[in-house]
Amino acid sequence: MSERTEPDFSVPLLRAYQAQEKRFVERRFPLEFAPEVPALRELYSQAKGFRWNPETDIAWERLDTSRYQKATLEAARLTWSRRAWSVYPGLTESTALLIRFCLESGTLGMDAKLFLSFRPAEEAKHLEVCHMLADRLGGYQVEPGEPGLARISNRPFAQAALDPDMPVEAFIAALGALDDQLDLNLCLSHLQNAEDETVRTALRLIAGDRQRHVTFAWVFLASRIAGLADHGRTAIIAAVHEMLADVILAGYRNTWLLPVDSREPWLAAEAETARHGLGASTVAQERSVLRATVAQVRERFATWGLTLPRVPHSELGTV
Amino acid sequence: MQTYMLEHRYPLPLSPTMPNVWELWQRAKTLEWDPQTDIPWEELHTERYTPTQLRAAQLYWSRRTWGEYGAISESPALLLRFCLERRLPDLQFFFTMRTMEEGRHAEASWLMAERLGRYFPQPQNPPTVGAVGTHGVRRMAFDPETSLEGIFASLVCAAEEILIDVFKATVHKATNPAVRRLMELILRDEVRHIAFGWHCLDAWAPSFTPETIRNIETAVETMIENVEFRGYRNLWLAVEGGSATPEEIDADEISCAAGLGGSTPEDEMQVFPAFLAKIRKRMAPYGVNIRLFDHPRLGKV
Repeated sequence: MSERTEPDFSVPLLRAYQAQEKRFVERRFPLEFAPEVPALRELYSQAKGFRWNPETDIAWERLDTSRYQKATLEAARLTWSRRAWSVYPGLTESTALLIRFCLESGTLGMDAKLFLSFRPAEEAKHLEVCHMLADRLGGYQVEPGEPGLARISNRPFAQAALDPDMPVEAFIAALGALDDQLDLNLCLSHLQNAEDETVRTALRLIAGDRQRHVTFAWVFLASRIAGLADHGRTAIIAAVHEMLADVILAGYRNTWLLPVDSREPWLAAEAETARHGLGASTVAQERSVLRATVAQVRERFATWGLTLPRVPHSELGTV
Repeated sequence: MQTYMLEHRYPLPLSPTMPNVWELWQRAKTLEWDPQTDIPWEELHTERYTPTQLRAAQLYWSRRTWGEYGAISESPALLLRFCLERRLPDLQFFFTMRTMEEGRHAEASWLMAERLGRYFPQPQNPPTVGAVGTHGVRRMAFDPETSLEGIFASLVCAAEEILIDVFKATVHKATNPAVRRLMELILRDEVRHIAFGWHCLDAWAPSFTPETIRNIETAVETMIENVEFRGYRNLWLAVEGGSATPEEIDADEISCAAGLGGSTPEDEMQVFPAFLAKIRKRMAPYGVNIRLFDHPRLGKV
């Protein structure tokens, strides 16, 4: 197939997924569809009701790039390219999670399955928005061109979603309750800071979907926590702790947390983008969002008797 | 989470490269619908049907639900494969929408069964589960030895093609307005799904090797024999009858006669051979030759 440029690298990856899939014994029947967790079914209904289209629901013609200097546009295109790279994994992660729910049971989890059947398309719309914005601001950049950022932004979470040794509650706690929550809060911060009307609409539409994704995680966890044995509860804490210490504090979402050598030109680009209201936050704002998010997540877990350990960080102190 | 294998993520191109597939993605976004609100449920009027007709329709729509569920539990593995193999972005974007649409079809079919009186969560005899439960695309999608072209030809094109051929041939018999509207909406989505499959095969065809062609032939023939002729879509087609009960086998015909969806053996006798002739003709320019099949009721097709 001519479209595929490097066919061989994917073979071991597919084999890894294949091996994981084979460890499940799917029991499809009885296949139940009736709602089990009404709040999750309601989120699915909301997803159906709040559909939007990046092509037509954002006033692209009002994005007047002539108002900005060349350096500002260059910065904004880099910022939105980086954002596209961070949205892209959502396609595979939410798809793998959907498959995981289906592999686990036909009888349980239909609310989550229906919700997750929508999520990859929502992630694809967000990806399209980031790509369109980067393109219109001067051109989407297809890769970081810097090994540190490339490594830190490429995580095997889709594979983790299909790992039978990783409880689904732990996966959702780490990616949904912590990472999606941080992503949502950052998006809201960028929105608060954005001045351009087109960029504001884009961020508002993305935040609307993200809010549902985050609510899904919390509602799902609330529906499962009470039934978890000690092992399941320990796995949640371990996964969230690992996500915070090894992923988020390594700069997965925040450029200023990347290794010093990997921060530029992204950090300067985000500062310039934030200064001109084109969809970013300042380092100070992001720092405050991160601290508030971790505190919020820690408090919510505490209500379930789950204690998220504090994590030391060389620049932030203890988080 | 360090023990997993890393994807080769970059470069990550996102610009459309296959205009006709990109157009399907764009179009899908403008044609979203909601089974709860876009079907005239108030026109279902179950009081106008006999208990036998309603039960047959409940069985038919329950069975459809199980089939649609396969497209959310199995086919999404293809999206993972597209991403892991770094296929063109057009495929990845479109397939997210397909998963969403199939979820909608499953919900809509379940709702129809429920509102006709009852959804049945499983076949009456467990062994039928094997025939109706899976077409195996998830396993194939994760298997690097299984060619993507074969999966497309058999399951994205052929299996979906027969599904909509039967829908097209029978939608006029659905005299119930709620049932007809649902069939029309499902049909509208499925037409895009099939177009996607053919666009991809057409685009890849110039690079088909003799091995690719053999893979396609084997995959399509296996789908006909192991999926269609095992009664995955319609139990009447099951060569060995399986363990489906007479009530389950007759449900499609009774439901169809009542105008509540489904097909008759006569419909299948007409549509199935025409479907095979169509895909043979459609795949012939690729060099693909689909052999004849013996079926106890359809004859040599």
